[in-house]
Amino acid sequence: MTTSSAPPAPLTAGDQVPFYTSRLWEAVRAGDEYAAGTGVRDALTDGVPPETLLLDVIGGVQRRVGAEWAANRLSVAQEHAATAINERVIALLAQHPDVPPVPPARGRITVACVDGEWHALPARLLAEVLRLRGWRVDYLGAQVPAPHLIAHLHLTNPDLVALSSSLVTRLPAAHATITACQATGVPVLVGGAAFGSDGRHARQLGADAWAPDARQAAERLRRPLTRRKADHQAIDDLPHLADQEYTLAARGSRQLVREVLAGLESRFPTLLDYDDVQRDHTAQDVAHLVEFLTAALYTDDTELFSGFLVWTADVLRARAVPPESLLPALDLLERALRDFPRAVGLITRSRQALSRALRASGPPAARQLDPGQPA
Amino acid sequence: MTDPSPARILHLSSTAVGPDVLRITVRGELDVDSAAEFQDAVTEHLAARSGLRALRVDCGGLVLCDSMGLSALLMVHRRTTALGVSLHLEERPPALDRLLAVTGTLDHLTAPPAAAASTPPSS
Amino acid sequence: MVNSAERSADNAWSDAALHAAPYPVLVADPVGTVRRANEAFGLLVPDAVEGSALCEVLPDWLLLAHDRLSAAPAPHAPPPRGEVAGRSFEAHATRLPEGEVVWWLTDDTDVRLAERRLLQERNRTAFLARASNELLSSLNLDRCMEVAGRLAAAHLADAAVVIAPPRGRALSVVSADGTGAHSRQLTGVAPESVPGLAEALRGFPPVPSRWIDPAAAPEWLVPEDFGPVGAMVVTPLPGHGVPAGALVLLRRAHHAAFSESEESFARLFAARAGAAMSAARLYAEQAQITETLMRELLPPRVGQVGGVEFAARYRAAKDGERVGGDFYDIHPAAAPQDESLVVLGDVCGKGLDAAVLTGKIRNTLHALLPLSGDHVRMLRLLNGALLSSHHTRFATLVMASARRRADRVELRVTCAGHPAPLVVRADGRVAEVETHGNLVGVLPEIDAVTAPLILAPGESLVLFTDGITESKGGPLGDELFGDARLRRALAHCAGMPAEAVAEHVQMLATEWVGVNKHDDMAVVTVTAPRGSSRRAPGGTPTEGHGA
Repeated sequence: MTTSSAPPAPLTAGDQVPFYTSRLWEAVRAGDEYAAGTGVRDALTDGVPPETLLLDVIGGVQRRVGAEWAANRLSVAQEHAATAINERVIALLAQHPDVPPVPPARGRITVACVDGEWHALPARLLAEVLRLRGWRVDYLGAQVPAPHLIAHLHLTNPDLVALSSSLVTRLPAAHATITACQATGVPVLVGGAAFGSDGRHARQLGADAWAPDARQAAERLRRPLTRRKADHQAIDDLPHLADQEYTLAARGSRQLVREVLAGLESRFPTLLDYDDVQRDHTAQDVAHLVEFLTAALYTDDTELFSGFLVWTADVLRARAVPPESLLPALDLLERALRDFPRAVGLITRSRQALSRALRASGPPAARQLDPGQPA
Repeated sequence: MTDPSPARILHLSSTAVGPDVLRITVRGELDVDSAAEFQDAVTEHLAARSGLRALRVDCGGLVLCDSMGLSALLMVHRRTTALGVSLHLEERPPALDRLLAVTGTLDHLTAPPAAAASTPPSS
Repeated sequence: MVNSAERSADNAWSDAALHAAPYPVLVADPVGTVRRANEAFGLLVPDAVEGSALCEVLPDWLLLAHDRLSAAPAPHAPPPRGEVAGRSFEAHATRLPEGEVVWWLTDDTDVRLAERRLLQERNRTAFLARASNELLSSLNLDRCMEVAGRLAAAHLADAAVVIAPPRGRALSVVSADGTGAHSRQLTGVAPESVPGLAEALRGFPPVPSRWIDPAAAPEWLVPEDFGPVGAMVVTPLPGHGVPAGALVLLRRAHHAAFSESEESFARLFAARAGAAMSAARLYAEQAQITETLMRELLPPRVGQVGGVEFAARYRAAKDGERVGGDFYDIHPAAAPQDESLVVLGDVCGKGLDAAVLTGKIRNTLHALLPLSGDHVRMLRLLNGALLSSHHTRFATLVMASARRRADRVELRVTCAGHPAPLVVRADGRVAEVETHGNLVGVLPEIDAVTAPLILAPGESLVLFTDGITESKGGPLGDELFGDARLRRALAHCAGMPAEAVAEHVQMLATEWVGVNKHDDMAVVTVTAPRGSSRRAPGGTPTEGHGA
């Protein structure tokens, strides 16, 4: 069936990954599913190991998709399109005759994304790699509601759950899910950007193991994970939640968004002239600010919030919006939360970090903006 | 978000407008939780007044009508038609009209009894 | 110095006191011999006569305490304890001025026994609480049996075997000893081969272990390398009104047999293990029924059929319940030149009633497939099949027949009381498809208008239920997602694969509702693939189903 056109010159093993990565990137960027499939088939024929193909070629392209989106060179919709093509390519790879099925000899694993998590590809890649390494894998996909996951655990009795989350704002949901899995006696390995580049939130939320990427997750699973005691309670992990600041802020988050929006409108009357789309965007931005603040309150992690502010400043700059516009929103947020000392401290420290970052990057950069239309 | 605010609870009241005309005023939400209540109440009224000629349902205070609400209205229409009572849905809020239009039930529910059988929906 | 007259008077008094004392008393002199012992002491240690060496007559623990006392007096140390003549004593020392030591023994045998019993009770209660926690944490039968076996082997016996009620020919068995637990499916073994097991599996009360001959334990019951069995208990595992299995406890030959108290404790444990296993079994049965139902009712996975891309996303209203009022089906074309039919619908109501109506609609439409060349006729027949005098439950639906023609997709689209689908053009324009009709299932007669539609490469038809547009939420918490937002979002979806469009719409709506309650949300997309028309539709890389 395969009409593979071999690459023009023989590639050395070291050249293969960059070659096929850029070939797949071009196909994904052009929205050409067919070219993407052909490229991956050629790579297999060329002797690229399936795991390398998954983690370095497809994974590499997916990382680039994320970076391009952050730099405003891909829209969210285009990101979806790119991811859909990568998903298809993975499915193709799994069914390819050159990738013989590995008899599952190592035990059973459930791989899932936390509820609200749409970035399923890292979990999908892990699932495929674990399959290649001889695990029996149940891949549940993106945004799995905790009750579905738990029902699945009761039915299948896996050796462990691998849980993926890229968004720090989903950490409270991730914590509830980790605790629920452990309560059924199943240990949990977590991964994804949400847990921090050093895995600090994995430890904080009581996960049984953490891995920075799919390859290391697969390595970590060579050793058995031990189950935590069944009587572990979620509150044991986060004693600071006793001050109720998270609970109150999370419950009142809609009200917070309204207060900040109203404050912004009275400070900047031009906002009132915004059209529906612009108003939606502003409200969405404020909602994100509140979401990240509540996540920082949950984890008691200033860096979570300050990191978001600095990152947002970069994104705003890339979209030709002056990042200084974040400051008044922070002021309004602080005023709305003045009775919450931990929140106020968090905002104050994060504002300092943002100011430092703004000074360091100088006046708004005249960065080249590429509207990012696909070919 | 899910506070049970009083405005959302279904409230029904009835007045006899004439010897053979009954008006039922509906306030609140006609939805999956309240549709059966509405249907039962109307059925009781229909059973209690044998000489009824017209049933006028005042929908002005209807804040929401979901698919179960529409199902209840359709059942009421079926009952009134069987009894030869004409049904009038009055003071319909725009959202209700939109629901009836999209589902193609506007003509059925608002046409005079004789012609109510079937009419292609107006677009 | 004390003179001898005083001394003998003193002795006379202390003799009297000594013999009247209600405790065994011994007076030891500084040189390590017995000065005197009262009658009570003599009853315990007949050899302890005046002048005998302490090291020959005292039990070790008392001799040790005596030596310690002489070497380094520790006034606040707890009194030494030990056994003499089969009873337990506490020894209290009094030092006399001349270096003599008086040992008073108090019998605390009953106190000790009570204390030991109390401690045992406490340990047992703590163990039962821990066991319950561990047993109830999982609703998986295999795991429950494994936990029960492991706990029983660690706390109640040398080895434990948990046996589930037989199903068919196989007997599901978990054997555990100190090293671990492993489960097996045994065929060809009869429960009758173990005394009392068949009865226990039917829930009869346990047979006392003293009536069971441990030598009768068959080979399959005894862990490898266990050695001869010294004692065996067979206890039923009572479930919620039905037997959940049986627990067999084994002790090695040289270990003590099971006492009555141990057996009754084992029954307490068995009650907890049985409840957990029965809950797990009921859960598995329920879940299996639901799974079977859902396999029927859950929307199919879709992909590319005959050069036309289909994709769908569905999120049920209640997270615990995956079968809701929305449904969709894709009936692939038999041959590439034929039409595929896609149907998206919304049944009013929720739960089982809605699910039953959904099933009826899907089956009826499937049977009517040969008539799909005429949507309106199909809908009228469906309407007739659904009419019922008992209720006015209805469904709204939209159907589209699609086939590939060169690089385009030709469609016929018909709405029956459903929100009109949207078409996303290659240039980003979004328009409503001009079709409308009556809902099905209530009105005696229905009608509908079918709209023709052509999709150029990269263009999509988007079918959705009102759960998407009527979802409430957003940054302010109470705004409708609405038609306008859906259209704006779709304007960015020109040229995207069907999967990406469906995923994008579903993500936006789900994020919009956030933690709010929402109705079922379903979206189906039909897309004319981008890229070259030179490729035969059958040869595309993504033919067939996804993951």
